[in-house]
Amino acid sequence: MITRLKEIYSYRELLKTSIKKEIRGKYKGSFLGVLWSFINPLLMVLVYAIVFPFIMRSSMPHYLQFLITGIIPWTFFTTTLVQGVGTIKNNAGILKKVYFPREILPLSVSFSGLINFFISCIIIVIFCLFGGLGISWHLIFVPLVGFIQFLFTLGIVMALTAINAYIQDTEYIINFFINMLFYGTPILYPEAQIIDSGAPAFLIIIVKLNPFTHFMRIYRDVFLNHCIPSFSSIAYVAVVAVILVIIGYLIFRKLEKGFAEVL
Amino acid sequence: MRNMENAIEVTNMSKRFKLMFDRPNTLKERIVFFNHEKPEYHQVLQDINLEIKKGESVALIGTNGSGKSTLLKLMTKILYPNKGKIETNGKLTSLLELGAGFHPDFTGRENIYFNASIFGLTKSEIDNRIDSIIDFAELGEFIDNPVRTYSSGMYMRLAFSVAINVDAEILLIDEILGVGDQYFQEKCFKKLEELRDSDKTIVIVSHSLDVVKKLCPRSVWIYKGHLKEDGDSETVIRHYLDRIVEDHKKSKGLVIKKDKYFGDITIDCPQENQTILLNSLSHLFYGWELSETDESIVKVYLDDSYLGDAIRVERDDVTTLLGDQFGGYAANPQPGWKFAVNESALIPGKHELKVQSMDEHGQIIKEKSVHFNCER
Repeated sequence: MITRLKEIYSYRELLKTSIKKEIRGKYKGSFLGVLWSFINPLLMVLVYAIVFPFIMRSSMPHYLQFLITGIIPWTFFTTTLVQGVGTIKNNAGILKKVYFPREILPLSVSFSGLINFFISCIIIVIFCLFGGLGISWHLIFVPLVGFIQFLFTLGIVMALTAINAYIQDTEYIINFFINMLFYGTPILYPEAQIIDSGAPAFLIIIVKLNPFTHFMRIYRDVFLNHCIPSFSSIAYVAVVAVILVIIGYLIFRKLEKGFAEVL
Repeated sequence: MRNMENAIEVTNMSKRFKLMFDRPNTLKERIVFFNHEKPEYHQVLQDINLEIKKGESVALIGTNGSGKSTLLKLMTKILYPNKGKIETNGKLTSLLELGAGFHPDFTGRENIYFNASIFGLTKSEIDNRIDSIIDFAELGEFIDNPVRTYSSGMYMRLAFSVAINVDAEILLIDEILGVGDQYFQEKCFKKLEELRDSDKTIVIVSHSLDVVKKLCPRSVWIYKGHLKEDGDSETVIRHYLDRIVEDHKKSKGLVIKKDKYFGDITIDCPQENQTILLNSLSHLFYGWELSETDESIVKVYLDDSYLGDAIRVERDDVTTLLGDQFGGYAANPQPGWKFAVNESALIPGKHELKVQSMDEHGQIIKEKSVHFNCER
């Protein structure tokens, strides 16, 4: 494990250029380029902000800011996941010809997601400033939570991208799960609403166990409520993230030896 | 590693590939065809033991499909053995395919950084080398253009230049000396000779045995997945060629009978416009002929009159260089031809020599002619 980390460190230049390639290459050729990674979540926010107040008849104050603090971390997770699952398969050509630590591929996708997320946080801050909410020193928690979410995503990406090399349905199955998880996470609605809604107990338990419920809690405490996020939430997502990274890494190590043969 | 002097150690290593005619790629196929058919295996390499010392240059030789490229991939850690171990000691670079991972939209310079980083170089290490890489590739101002605008020759030059300048301790090379034009090939060859004479370890897979002889003192012959012979290049290559000819004789029935064959014929002596001094009783004309059939006859004509059939002889250089051509069936054990002309047939003045290679049906496969002068 230690020698492995050392090897990845010695390939840091590759990691760096892959991250750059991931960020720049994705929108290369399009007119707005990298801007798309910010426009996409903004458009998503726009749609929900127009539609939801009417459907839900909710008259929540600062609903727009509430939406943005939910959607931007969520986009970080989904774009990284969708891009990451295919990364081994999409790089088959190079995997068959050159040796490098294969972990570089899921790592670079996840890192590029994290960097994108940090930049997108500026959008949240702008909305908070101009929406009359302001900001507070609690923003220092953002890098920590962002990093935990990065580990969380990395674990899932490592496992799924390795599996996807063998069973290519994985790519399509996860789309379904992402959709389900979206509605099981308090992104569009406040957490209290589903708990008070009289939904079946098991659904409420799922929502409460959902790590993203806790991520949302933390982000909203930091950005909107200007208070120190609950320690139990941070501890919970951190533990889940570490477990996922370990499991993901083990699956990846187990499967990586066959990449050049099955692809 | 058993011995720290070694750069590569292969111990009791076997590799097999699963043969699947319809590989289940999706979940549905996996479920539907679960236990459908027992997988078949193709044993590519069997019980290989090999030690390569630091600083050695070794060639892996063998016919197509003998497993030598697989062995190279196993050393690179692209593939992993089913049994046994492969250990390497030192920074390793493999040139299995040039330009792997080039991004067409990025400039040559950016691709140098990316490609070199795949080989495990850090930014500062690349910065130190970038000038020599660009120099070696001879791309001039094109280096800052996107790679998609390059000609294929420029592309290969850039790729080779990066790979060769990585400064790895172990260099694995798979049949890459077909890069660019003659001039660049010679340059690559010189660079490889330079690397060989330094303390680098080089392992080459090549079909061109001339290159092998010049670059590597030691050759390892892989025959049908087994390590057949390991030793001095000259000896191993001689045995390897003998075996090709022998195998060819055994599989003679496999030569496909066709109505029309392809082949080539060459006259080495006399050369075009050569002047021959008539001072001996007879004069020897010679050359070589290779075609898809090995029952071809070489007919010799002087000034359009038929002189006779040439005698076939062995020509190692031709077998070495062209043994794989003409569908692999060109391993005629005696590709050379010679014909002695009586001096009485040659009078001073201009002459034309014509040779024809003819198949068993009496059809001409190929013919060539040269003009020469005779003087007394």
